[in-house]
Amino acid sequence: MTCEELIAHLSSYLDHEMDAALVAEVQEHIAHCRNCRVVLDTSQRLMVLLHDEGRRIIPMRERSALFDRLQQAFLNRSPASDSNTTV
Amino acid sequence: MPGLTIDLTIYDDEEALLAGLRRREPDACACLIKRFAPLVYAQAIRLLGDVDEAEGALQQTFIKACDKLDTYEGRSGLGSWLYRIATNEALMLLRQRSPRIAIDNVADTIQADEMPQHLTPWTLDPATAALNSELRATLEQALMALPETLRVVFVLRDIQGLSTEETAAMLGLGESAVKVRLHRARLRLRELLSAYMQEH
Repeated sequence: MTCEELIAHLSSYLDHEMDAALVAEVQEHIAHCRNCRVVLDTSQRLMVLLHDEGRRIIPMRERSALFDRLQQAFLNRSPASDSNTTV
Repeated sequence: MPGLTIDLTIYDDEEALLAGLRRREPDACACLIKRFAPLVYAQAIRLLGDVDEAEGALQQTFIKACDKLDTYEGRSGLGSWLYRIATNEALMLLRQRSPRIAIDNVADTIQADEMPQHLTPWTLDPATAALNSELRATLEQALMALPETLRVVFVLRDIQGLSTEETAAMLGLGESAVKVRLHRARLRLRELLSAYMQEH
């Protein structure tokens, strides 16, 4: 496996979607290629960094005004949806 | 403003909250918004990169959610359900912004300038670094620096955690296109963050 091939397959490797024969080729390559070892390691670190990103909250500006608008929108929603209400 | 002083523990679980919402209890609405609006907003701003559009998407998300409450079956959890509605709202806004072009037309191969350039190891432990607010801000900036075509796929796959198949369906793309764009986004983000990582 060349460096270009390893980079092309990097995401498959990170996502564990690579077949065993290719995984062996990647591991053989990084055993003697320092640059690809760094790219692989830093990419794995990036994935760890991103792990909790989806649960992170970004501060909202004028939060209270926005909440109020949202609540009004809810309270003013169409009465038609009430007719099917199940409790 | 009654909704802002609500005790979030009134509705113990999602079932109680859902029952309150279906009875149109104002406190249930306030509770839903307080619990989920920050998450929905974060998703909208990552996809749209614009505060005003993200607030519009957030508002539309809750209006649509309220209208669809009676058909909500509760399989996926309220958070996931709202996330999905918000994603569709944001994608619709993206398409209106640049009809069909932005999301659908992109070279589906790795470009020469996307090959790794930064080849210095990162010394920061990612689990510790994740708590570093400066790094989080850098990560957000890097995300916004991605072309929209790559960022949308990246947000759905690596941040929202959708599968390749789900992402492809949501964007109307083939699975191979999703995979290539995700790969290109990861390579670019690694480059963008490497510059920061090597200075700290």
